[in-house]
Amino acid sequence: MNAETIVEKITSEIKDKIQETALTAPRRINVKVDREQLLAVLQYLKDQFGFTHLATISGVDLGEYFEVVYHMSNAIATVNVRILTPRSDPKIPSTCSVIPGAILYERELQDMFGLVVQNIPDPRPLLLADDWPAGEYPLRKDWHFNRPDEIIPGGK
Amino acid sequence: MIERLVHWSRVKSPWVLHLNTGACNACDIEILAALMPRFDLERFGILLKGTPRHADVIICTGPVTRQNRDRVVRIYEQVPDPKFVVAVGACAMSGCVYRGAYNSMGGVDQVLPVNAYIPGCPIRPDALIDGVVKLLNSLK
Repeated sequence: MNAETIVEKITSEIKDKIQETALTAPRRINVKVDREQLLAVLQYLKDQFGFTHLATISGVDLGEYFEVVYHMSNAIATVNVRILTPRSDPKIPSTCSVIPGAILYERELQDMFGLVVQNIPDPRPLLLADDWPAGEYPLRKDWHFNRPDEIIPGGK
Repeated sequence: MIERLVHWSRVKSPWVLHLNTGACNACDIEILAALMPRFDLERFGILLKGTPRHADVIICTGPVTRQNRDRVVRIYEQVPDPKFVVAVGACAMSGCVYRGAYNSMGGVDQVLPVNAYIPGCPIRPDALIDGVVKLLNSLK
């Protein structure tokens, strides 16, 4: 099996669940999915091709939409599963039922982008400081950091 | 007489606390190298202590992170007077590449009063020895 046959199988077997499949580079498969179908697609990829290794989940701020990319690998190829979620309603399903280790990335997404991960087993904040104000998401493009005034010792 | 003895022993044998306020570990490795036999900071009587309550000098490495700020101040307050702070490395002096980041407060001097700055990224052990000796000479 190689990446081309994986693409062929995906396009023929779960055509109704995906929007688009492409081979963007050697051994790198791009799959666009509706957010409602995400869990089913990840489960299919895991069971059928052994995509068990979730390298990371990245969030992209596209302005009106957030794109969430799930980077999955097996021994042959890497597949990027992309979903879009509108900024006004930033909900994504939790993938912990398929990949338990996804929880750290999902908690990070909640901290950094303010995405709402539904059915997440443990929604506590992960990375930001304890006294971080609520509703501030540092990796959103429209977020601006107001730096505290610098103290110059000696008053120069 | 007692005061002179205390002052003499302070200058001749300061006990230091090594405090990582958010460094990348490079400066910490160099500090340990300075304490090891090759550079041997202990020949100046300098002794590394594990607790702030026994220390005279705090050697701070790295920018102060927002999460770490309160803890750094708390450790500083536990050190008995008179106490001295040495900012080691470019990050501890000014924040360096972390300057202006949302989770960084900048250099150590934004949080604590600093007595000596030692530049370098990471510092050389020689630079650390030079800086500490200069600090001790300024106390005489």
